[in-house]
Amino acid sequence: MSGQPSGPVLEIAGLHTEIRRNGAAVRAVDGVSLTVAAGECLGLVGESGCGKTMTARSVMRLLPAGGVITAGSVVLAGTELTALSERNMQTIRGNDVGMVFQDPSSSLDPTMQVGRQIAESVVVHRGASRAAAAARAVEMLSLVKIADPERVARGYPHQLSGGMRQRAMIAAALACEPRLLIADEPTTALDVTTQRDILDLIGDLRAALGMAVILVTHDLGVIAGRTERVAVMYGGRIVEQAATSAVFAGPRHPYTEALFEALPEMASSQPASRGLYSIPGRPPDLVTRSPGCSFAQRCRYVRDWCATHEPALDGDHPGHGYACFFPVGVTGRARGAGGQDGAGGGVTPVSAWVSGRGRQAAGRAATAAPASTAAEPLLRVSGLVKDYPVAGGVLGRRSGAVSAVADVSFELLAGQTFGLVGESGSGKTTVARLLVGLERPDAGAIVFDGADLAAMPARQRRQRRSGIQLMFQDSFASLDPRMRVKSILSEPLAIHQTVRRRGYRRQVLRILDEVGLPADAENQYAREFSGGQRQRLALARALIQRPALIVADEPVSALDVSVQAQILNLMRKLQRQYELSYLFISHDLSVIRYMADTIGVMYLGKLVETGPAEEICTAPGHPYTASLIAAVPAVVTGPEMTRPPLAGTPLAGTLSAGTLSAGTGQPGMAALPGASGPPAAGPDPAHPPSGCRFRLRCAFARDVCAEQEPALRPHAVRGQLVACHFPLGPATAGQVAGQTMPSIA
Amino acid sequence: MTAYLARRALQAVAVVLLVTLIVFGLIRLAPGGVTTAVLGSGSAHQQFLAQYLTWLGRVLSGNLGRSARLNESVGALLAASLPRTLVLTGVSTVIALLVAVPVGLLQAVRRSSAVDHVLRGLTYLCYGMPPFVLGSVLILYLAVDWHFFGAEGPQAAGVGGVIADPRDLTLPVLTLALVTIATFARYMRSSALDSLGQEYVQAARARGGGERRVIVSHVLRNSLVPVVTLIGLSLPQIVGGALVVEILFNFQGMGWQIWQAAVNHDVPVTLGFTLVIGVAAAVGSLLADIGYAILDPRVRISRP
Ligand code: SF4
Ligand code: SF4
Repeated sequence: MSGQPSGPVLEIAGLHTEIRRNGAAVRAVDGVSLTVAAGECLGLVGESGCGKTMTARSVMRLLPAGGVITAGSVVLAGTELTALSERNMQTIRGNDVGMVFQDPSSSLDPTMQVGRQIAESVVVHRGASRAAAAARAVEMLSLVKIADPERVARGYPHQLSGGMRQRAMIAAALACEPRLLIADEPTTALDVTTQRDILDLIGDLRAALGMAVILVTHDLGVIAGRTERVAVMYGGRIVEQAATSAVFAGPRHPYTEALFEALPEMASSQPASRGLYSIPGRPPDLVTRSPGCSFAQRCRYVRDWCATHEPALDGDHPGHGYACFFPVGVTGRARGAGGQDGAGGGVTPVSAWVSGRGRQAAGRAATAAPASTAAEPLLRVSGLVKDYPVAGGVLGRRSGAVSAVADVSFELLAGQTFGLVGESGSGKTTVARLLVGLERPDAGAIVFDGADLAAMPARQRRQRRSGIQLMFQDSFASLDPRMRVKSILSEPLAIHQTVRRRGYRRQVLRILDEVGLPADAENQYAREFSGGQRQRLALARALIQRPALIVADEPVSALDVSVQAQILNLMRKLQRQYELSYLFISHDLSVIRYMADTIGVMYLGKLVETGPAEEICTAPGHPYTASLIAAVPAVVTGPEMTRPPLAGTPLAGTLSAGTLSAGTGQPGMAALPGASGPPAAGPDPAHPPSGCRFRLRCAFARDVCAEQEPALRPHAVRGQLVACHFPLGPATAGQVAGQTMPSIA
Repeated sequence: MTAYLARRALQAVAVVLLVTLIVFGLIRLAPGGVTTAVLGSGSAHQQFLAQYLTWLGRVLSGNLGRSARLNESVGALLAASLPRTLVLTGVSTVIALLVAVPVGLLQAVRRSSAVDHVLRGLTYLCYGMPPFVLGSVLILYLAVDWHFFGAEGPQAAGVGGVIADPRDLTLPVLTLALVTIATFARYMRSSALDSLGQEYVQAARARGGGERRVIVSHVLRNSLVPVVTLIGLSLPQIVGGALVVEILFNFQGMGWQIWQAAVNHDVPVTLGFTLVIGVAAAVGSLLADIGYAILDPRVRISRP
């Protein structure tokens, strides 16, 4: 293959891919055409089942069982891939195209040394010797900024943290310096701070190696600022394709527009009562072909014409294509990234989120005082502690303890939402388990409705607990697939005997109606439901006992944005209707911000900051909160729209400017775990750092942080409580952007 | 890894002690003559614990008592039969592994193909058939009708004698191996299917090279991990199979001896052999754990 630096690296034309199974053919990719130039990054966006992953796999010709490319061409640097023999294709994979997968915990072979996996492609394609391969592995590991590469190369995947595994995965994909890297949801399984580091890394390597990148994702935030061009897929086709800035400034296809409006980030620029826009209906099944526009059943601008004619992907000016007869944003819609609200048009430009942030921050200062002083809270958690024993040694005796929840206290008023946010391992799920009684606390009180659940005898506690219900993230695992919906819903009634048996059916039907499920769903099984419907069912199951509090543990994190919007809207509607309280747990700050009145930020078992939601999101007081916010991929673009500046400098001038800049890395560079930092995973919860648990990742850490544990204290000028010796103060000068946080990938 | 293995070794020791306690309890329950024969005269007035300890000391020094029927010590009987059984089970287990692992892997790679269906039918057949029936069928055709092999196991004494007689050894080994192959292959198939569905296999394919490399360097090892555990767990089954096969082929190994002893109410021999088999089972599962640790680094190396 000869290099063609000027032409496109990848040219897909009219690609059709089918998955044939059980006699039915799913048209997973239905006529996709796109190009990627050398050094360019293309974002391939869409919700699950839209065909984005199948498009990526068609390029590699790594399709699932029953998958066939039925038509079209895939040309990689002048070579037609669809015509190659499997043997020749094997010389392309890993050599000219590298691929990174979604879940770093399962994409590395657990029984093979990391270094050998990284060097595998060099051995296969270049016939590298053992020594050369080992050297290449170490070289690649240092390229992806892993400290102590020699040791990591000899280690096994389970010894690495999720972020480091994804780095190793990237190293493996790039070992032969391919022209094209396909990254299929590379950061979906990672925490936000790690996500940012991995995306930065891919961006750096793209520039350094001059390769083309296809970034496949469902997350518009990931696309923004990381890609030059975007292709939005729906129903196996590309419905809109243009420069990233053009799409973000003014999406033309109704589906793209709907995707943007469904983002919780967009809510802060709209009146809260309006709720998020959610796309009605479900995506097409791709088996039966219907005439007309594939989005017609769900499109709010649909006209008769759309049902009979199929729109082609073309646009009004070159470079911006969309498959729609009646594109949005032609008249009266705000375009450009100036931040003017689309008055009259009813559509808010995406960039408004940023201006919305500033506006709310300004308007919020007056209402800073905590509102919880007057009324008796529905729930008061104080001094909650939970340790998990760690077995070790020859006899498997308790050798230590993981401190999962350490002295956590907060309050929740009736009818309000407390949002608990934190990365994996922060202890937020343990708090949920303690509240609903799945675990017993080692210390502390859980005062619910005036009575301490932790101190109560078991029987009494069980009765009380029907007032607190749990809603899981993975409702599929928590709902018995062999039970009909009516049994799933009447089971809690039977256990707690709140209603007579005769009243069950009426209750079930009423609750199904409330959560927006059809009445005939009562005879279906949970497994027949889609993700969103299952989450409705989970909500129904929690609701049927008329609880005062629902503990929702990541209830929407497995859902696509449009469905996520439906569930969030539903939860808010029910909250208003029944004065429900939620303890809403999520790793996603924008979801938390949309839902919560009060936010608590957890880090390694500690509540490090708590206070009014807007306050915390716009002016965080704890360095960890600040780094979380900075890591959230912002849905903004355009030349003038950089990341939202994160207001905050250390309070009271205790830190010199020198200390500040010491932590600042090069802009855009992923923070390197320095030689002094811990090389492997983040701090070990079995041995949390002395003093402040965040200090190993904190740019402001000083000696006192190691000696004294900071207590949760009221912030000097704001309404929140912060556990930090040097809380961030009001915005004055300078920016503490995400780059100052030496993060641990 | 050391801590893990040390823990497993301790567990094995505990199991062995438990086995000795049970066997000792059975000896005490047996009629008085037997107790004296095994424990020696003058034991009657001793306490349970003291009796047990004396007995354990003797067992450890190799003295398992004397046969009630034959004029021989249990130890001597054991010395004559144990190696024979080891040859039978050892050879057939090795053969079973050598056949079952590739067969299971092939079935998984060619899932739902004709090969898979045929092999699945065959393994089901061997799995469902009792070893007694399977052995009888083999004798009927391969020995009685066609005279390829002997209908009886090797009768010569000692390991050398057994190995020197492949014609007679073939059928007992084959019977036992077929039963074991069926179990292992079915397990290997599902384990390999599991590995094939993992994302790291996709990732390995995405690095290029042929499918054979992906199978050998990624699928095989990961699929072997659970299979090794299975070998440890199926040890009693193999020993049980050996018992039937030995009786069927009149092969004088441990199983044959136990059967003889049981039929003739020779309590000391029965108990002595039971003790040895119990210990062997504990050692076997320890060996499986070691193999497991060698194959799976997650067991071998704990997180730093
Ligand atoms: S063609 Fe019609 S139905 Fe399709 S997206 Fe455009 S307006 Fe909606
Ligand atoms: S107490 Fe110190 S280490 Fe902890 S967050 Fe505050 S400044 Fe950083």
